Amino acid sequence: MNLVEKILAKASGKARVAPNDIVVAEVDTALLHDLSGRSSRQVFQEKVRGTMRHPERVVMVFDHIFSPPSEDKAEVLLENRKFCREYGMTLYDCGSGNIHNVALQHGHVRPGQIVVGSDSHTPVQGVMGCFAAALGNDSYAGTVMPHSQAWFRVPETIRVELNGTPRPGTTARDIALWLCATIGEGKANYTALKFCGSYIDSLEVWDRYLFTLMAVDVGAKCAYVEPDGKTEAFARAVGAEPFELVYDDAGTSYAAEWSWDISDIEPQICFPPTVGNVRPISELAGTPIQWAELGGHGGGRTFDIDAAAQVLAKARKHPEVNFNIVPGSRQVFSKAVASGNLSLLHEQGATWFPPSTGGNQAVNMGAMAAGEAMISTHVRNFPGRNGSPKAQMFLASSLSVAAAAVAGKIVDPREFM
Amino acid sequence: MAENGELKLSGKAWVFGDDVPTDQIVATRYLFSPMSEAVQHVLENLRPEFPKSVMQGDIVVAGRHFGQSSGRARAPKTLQATGIGGVIAESFARTWLRNCFEIGLPILECPGISRMAKDGDVLTADLVAGTVFNKTRGTELRGTPCHPFLLNMLQTGGLIKLVKARGADWGRLE
Repeated sequence: MNLVEKILAKASGKARVAPNDIVVAEVDTALLHDLSGRSSRQVFQEKVRGTMRHPERVVMVFDHIFSPPSEDKAEVLLENRKFCREYGMTLYDCGSGNIHNVALQHGHVRPGQIVVGSDSHTPVQGVMGCFAAALGNDSYAGTVMPHSQAWFRVPETIRVELNGTPRPGTTARDIALWLCATIGEGKANYTALKFCGSYIDSLEVWDRYLFTLMAVDVGAKCAYVEPDGKTEAFARAVGAEPFELVYDDAGTSYAAEWSWDISDIEPQICFPPTVGNVRPISELAGTPIQWAELGGHGGGRTFDIDAAAQVLAKARKHPEVNFNIVPGSRQVFSKAVASGNLSLLHEQGATWFPPSTGGNQAVNMGAMAAGEAMISTHVRNFPGRNGSPKAQMFLASSLSVAAAAVAGKIVDPREFM
Repeated sequence: MAENGELKLSGKAWVFGDDVPTDQIVATRYLFSPMSEAVQHVLENLRPEFPKSVMQGDIVVAGRHFGQSSGRARAPKTLQATGIGGVIAESFARTWLRNCFEIGLPILECPGISRMAKDGDVLTADLVAGTVFNKTRGTELRGTPCHPFLLNMLQTGGLIKLVKARGADWGRLE
């Protein structure tokens, strides 16, 4: 068996499981954000009620709304807050950060666990060598909250090996965008993706994160990186203990094995209307943008803030661009304070926003008018997701976002290095 | 409707393309609206006439990876509230698939369906057998049969009803 099969077998009390089996497994951690927290709460309160078996395993992060812009949104947060307190669930209130960064940073994701989450990008947490998948509201309300259980179909697993050394200016985000398009949207539907190879091994946990993050965009149910010394050190540093290191059995076979060398990949950009439209960024150079945002699931890490500071150390933000920076967690913000990048970016014209998921779905920020364009480190670009269906969202690396913020248009970030 | 344990569909086809995201099924701005309002905007970006003209029992037909993006159960719940009989697609995004079984909206994965059905064709489908019949054209296709656990969930009317009926024993697999 592989890592996913072993974790699912153990959590469902079976000696063995195989792809396409359906199992009912014990859940270790459930991650809900403010929007899905509300939906799951309503189903629980209206249709389920009763007790929760392990409320402490349910973690809610208010990340779309960092400060309610309207009375109805304030009510959503108030009711969610009361719900968390009444049952004793773990709550991270406004200004804590993005759900995935917060969960990882605060040790809620432990190697070997079963992690479920309402956000569709929950498979990102498999970076810690756990099984992590997204479920719908009725699973949280109906089985996770009352019974600490969920049903799963055991996925087939595809082994994705990435080798090589990236070119200067090509970041892990560029390679993840490229990989999404190369595999293709929905082409790995229902599967588990195993990421490995010398390139993945060379990355720190926060960069490996960008690969398990994109798994859902090719349709995967979950993704994982087998734990190594970096995983273990990360888990200890954030207090994600106790944990269990699980590996693929020797001789495990996979539904497919794909391998690429990433050494020649240029900086990439994803353009509307879906996440599978990716090209070298040089091909879209010159496209004007009015908004640049560093934040969301694919940005807002310390690496991203540092990359932006490198670019803006040399040049001020373009006068016709609004450049918004959204730290993924309070820890990231603290590091920006300590490094001096907070004031550097501020003085060069960027605007800091509270730790949150930023303009994701334009709930609290990030809406555009028809005809406007944004370049960001977000992970979604569907028309209408950020304001007008006639606005455009481009997805790229933090280096490319910062370079565009300076240039006022999409530009090859290597010109700013 | 699966509400009564009926696992047969019969209705007029509405055909959509590949990779339709939940954002296009229910836009974020209607996520918290009352269902009576949200249902008037379902799929409107792709087919403006859909919310006005969809009839009880109609069948949504789609290409690959239908229901990708956000795993909001509100999207299939809103589509269900239009009264459609179910969705037949080449393939579904997995959170969409999961949500449909959990809320009791019949779905069938059926490779070839997007070539077999045109807008307005009358289709029948049997979820237990996994078959689709196009009455307008006289053609038949075989889809991917559902796991018995999921068929049972559909027949019971969804996950919440299954848990209500069985309690802590909800996950027993026959």
